[in-house]
Amino acid sequence: MEMSCGSVGTVKESVSARRRVLYSAVCAVCHENEFSLADKPSLDTLLQMLQSLLFEIGRSSQAFCELSGRTEPLVGDVVMALIEMGLNCDSLSSYAMRANRVTIASPQLMAKQST
Amino acid sequence: ATVTSNVKPVGQPLVDFLHHLEDYTPTIPDAVTVHYLNTSGFETSDPRIVRLISVAAQKFISDVVNDALQHCKMRGAGQSKKTSKDKRYTLTMEDLSPALAEYGINVKKPHYFN
Repeated sequence: MEMSCGSVGTVKESVSARRRVLYSAVCAVCHENEFSLADKPSLDTLLQMLQSLLFEIGRSSQAFCELSGRTEPLVGDVVMALIEMGLNCDSLSSYAMRANRVTIASPQLMAKQST
Repeated sequence: ATVTSNVKPVGQPLVDFLHHLEDYTPTIPDAVTVHYLNTSGFETSDPRIVRLISVAAQKFISDVVNDALQHCKMRGAGQSKKTSKDKRYTLTMEDLSPALAEYGINVKKPHYFN
């Protein structure tokens, strides 16, 4: 990912800024699952998987959308992509409404607070 | 043929879930998910779709981590006989690799990689 962005410093920094947020999300997921500590290689592996998964869901949804002759994806396209990737859509609702969930503030909000 | 009124249509739970997503905040911020979706050519104006994808990706990672936790607990159960109430678990590649192998993902650490 970073390789394709060339040698421009600002672009690289913005890419790693988003990865830092994803890193926090992976840590939050580990914390929710009763892990107190984690080593760096395993967190890096999960971070790379999360980033690739987001990319792949987007690519696959867009492909299903274009297959139907549309340009803007609908919920059905995303659900088709998730099912095709082997992810269970029925259990998403119960997972989303779990009790001990952690939320990370949006980067725009964090920038406003720091200044 | 008689149609019973108690039977819900197949897509009904998904419609209800989408309704919930309108005022829901996933762990991954929307702005970050939107960026990675845009890099793959996916562009939408509906925030519910972005949140659905965020929740789906996060659940996959959570399932993997939960499997790793079960491996960690099983490995620890046979080794130490003394039970401490506040046991702290550590996520390592030793537990993550077999958990990922169940999903068909083989992770190998490169030789001499630090």
